[in-house]
Amino acid sequence: MNELVEAIRNPFSAARFAPDRMEFLFAPGQSAAGLLERLRAADWRGEIVGPHGSGKSTLLATLLAAARLAGQPCLAVTLRYGQRRLPCDFLGAARCMAAQKDRVPAVPLLAVDGYEQLGRWHRFLLGRLCRRRLGLVVTSHHPVGLPALCHTAVDPALAWRVVERLQAGSPPLVDGADVAERLAAHGGNLRETLFDLYDLFARRLAM
Amino acid sequence: MNEPAILIRLDSPARTYYPGQSLSGQYRLESAEGDPIRAVEASVLWYTEGKGEQDLAVHEFWRRDSQGGEGLDPRRPERFSTTLPISPLSYDGQIIQVRWCVRVRAFLSRGRELVAEKGFRLGDRPQQEVSPPEK
Amino acid sequence: MARNFRYFEKKRGHRRTGSRTLGSLGEALFFASLLVLGCAGLVAGILWLLIPEWRLHHGFKETTCLVQKKRLGEKEGDGATLYRPEIKIEYEAQGKQYSPWTYDLNTADMSDRAYSSDRAAVEAALDAFVEGQKYPCWYDPSKPDRAVLVRAYQGWLWLVFLVPASFVMLGAGGLVYTIHHWGKSAEHRAATVQRAQPSELFDLDRPPGPKLPNIPELSDITNSPGTTLAYRLPLSHSPGWTLLGLAAACLLWNGSVSYFAVAAVRSHLAQQPDWLLTLFILPFLAIGVALIVCLVRQLVQALAVGLTLVEISDHPLLPGGEYRLLVSQSGRLAMRSLEVWLSCREEATYRQGTNARTETREVRRLPVFRREGLALDRGQPFQAEGCVRVPAGAMHSFRADHNEVRWSLVVRGETAGRPAFERAFPVIVYPLAGAPVPGSHAP
Repeated sequence: MNELVEAIRNPFSAARFAPDRMEFLFAPGQSAAGLLERLRAADWRGEIVGPHGSGKSTLLATLLAAARLAGQPCLAVTLRYGQRRLPCDFLGAARCMAAQKDRVPAVPLLAVDGYEQLGRWHRFLLGRLCRRRLGLVVTSHHPVGLPALCHTAVDPALAWRVVERLQAGSPPLVDGADVAERLAAHGGNLRETLFDLYDLFARRLAM
Repeated sequence: MNEPAILIRLDSPARTYYPGQSLSGQYRLESAEGDPIRAVEASVLWYTEGKGEQDLAVHEFWRRDSQGGEGLDPRRPERFSTTLPISPLSYDGQIIQVRWCVRVRAFLSRGRELVAEKGFRLGDRPQQEVSPPEK
Repeated sequence: MARNFRYFEKKRGHRRTGSRTLGSLGEALFFASLLVLGCAGLVAGILWLLIPEWRLHHGFKETTCLVQKKRLGEKEGDGATLYRPEIKIEYEAQGKQYSPWTYDLNTADMSDRAYSSDRAAVEAALDAFVEGQKYPCWYDPSKPDRAVLVRAYQGWLWLVFLVPASFVMLGAGGLVYTIHHWGKSAEHRAATVQRAQPSELFDLDRPPGPKLPNIPELSDITNSPGTTLAYRLPLSHSPGWTLLGLAAACLLWNGSVSYFAVAAVRSHLAQQPDWLLTLFILPFLAIGVALIVCLVRQLVQALAVGLTLVEISDHPLLPGGEYRLLVSQSGRLAMRSLEVWLSCREEATYRQGTNARTETREVRRLPVFRREGLALDRGQPFQAEGCVRVPAGAMHSFRADHNEVRWSLVVRGETAGRPAFERAFPVIVYPLAGAPVPGSHAP
């Protein structure tokens, strides 16, 4: 029995819902292509705003994947807590992209996850780099002055869709009521909800 | 046409291995004809799962490159063998798991990649083989 | 399952997605520019400094000259007068007579490096030569009117090469690293990093034996012998540092707030109360008082509770092993209970963007002993012995960048009228296969 339990992996393991592992689940009528079109209409400037754990990074990763498929060169960086500067290699690569811009048919895209943390000087550097040469899409917990691309928020229906996807191939030990209850307890933070569901799944599996 | 896939087979039928024991097996590619294989990498590694970010470390790594632009022969099984280390052992904790596997990654044309892995357990030596100190 | 090449490979640490090629290119350009700058500096140094020095010592031909005149050359520098020795010599070279002003190579070449602010040193250099006397000199066979009286290697030359050399090393090293990691899979990069890590020549921390990847070092534990049992275990964190931190915060906060508080009080005493300042300062005062209360409580607790010492009969621990334990608790208080247990905790850290969370979970608690109704007296610490058993099949201590399995002995004391205290003493559990050679780690 223990071997069977060991063989069943917890579908809510952190690595499974990391932004680069999961595709963003759009509401009906929305898609990555539609979002790219909005970005194009805004002259390739946009911000994705939303509270903690609402899927901003996941949406950004999905958007960049769609842009790449459409032939757009993309370069992205995720800023950690307290990181107020852009890494040297990112800036260097961005400058290369700007210099090569005329040789590619599509507008190259820069993406900064956690933009609100950047210091003024690096925001200025980024702005100058992007002016007329590169597109810029950012994520932030509050508006930062770029055209609004998307406002992420998680409701119980969306959370359940995410859980269904994660739980596919595993015993369905977590149901919609569990998801709704924990999502409400965490104020709409899906990431913390998934961490809770990790423990719930493990407890129910052991029973 | 079938999707190409990597088949990995370990020589020993036992699911659990022990430190110092030899882990050996072979891998080959299926249904990859017509799609030249530029390189194949095989690694014996461990990684973590659970509520933390994934940690990963490679114990043994092999790489084969095609020569002369002809591609590697996918039908030919390739063998691998390594001696397993003492740590870290496989572990199923509450918020951390440590898992061992053999992972094979094939680099195809046009930037495509195939990945497959075969898990195994690295357990500690049975108690009776080592006499712990009693003080 | 086949999939298109992922341009979005997240790497651990600085999370980055996008074309890895572009990122690597940016990196390569940065290091390449360092390399180019360094090389340019080196080439310039070699051409303008090193080669002339070498030629002076190996290419110039020796002859005899007559010193005709001496003078102190002067020029105005940045707000000061600079000096150099100038000596007029007469010599024959390749069948012709030459009479240049010279001293060393810098003077012969009219270089600004010949000048110095040290007048006394320059005059002393001139005094070494007497007018009308003959001295050896060296002339450039390719340009015979260029000759020197003094030739010596300039020590500072080597410092000039330090800066460009460091640029070259940084640039070349970075380029090699970038190129080496260009286009590599995650497994390939991990394997390369692990191979590159230097093996420790003098690893005194581990007992001789096989390698134990991802198992913490023993040094903090085995370098402290016990008085009764083999090892005295260190605390995971000392209450002294907490007290120090709290005291510093208290001092800083109350020091700053007191300035304004004094001003407010003075205004009231002078019958001209500044109510705005008074109202403004009140919440800050309240925080300051709370800090003082907290500090005093911690201090009283620390003084009352005293030292907790734990000694163990052997280390590292092994699954299935039994070990004797000695716990000593000093202080001056009545304790409801003192409990000791072996604890195994898992710690997992997850970072995504601005969010960082670390979760710690105690997954095993193995009681060692519990005593109740103790009365501690200063000068007579409470001591108890026990036996701790590590379960067979227990997971060994494990440490990686984001995940850790940590074992410790925990001592918890409940006191009347005070908060309970808990002190953790880390221990290392090895896998059975990694058991140290008997006697190899004895203090």
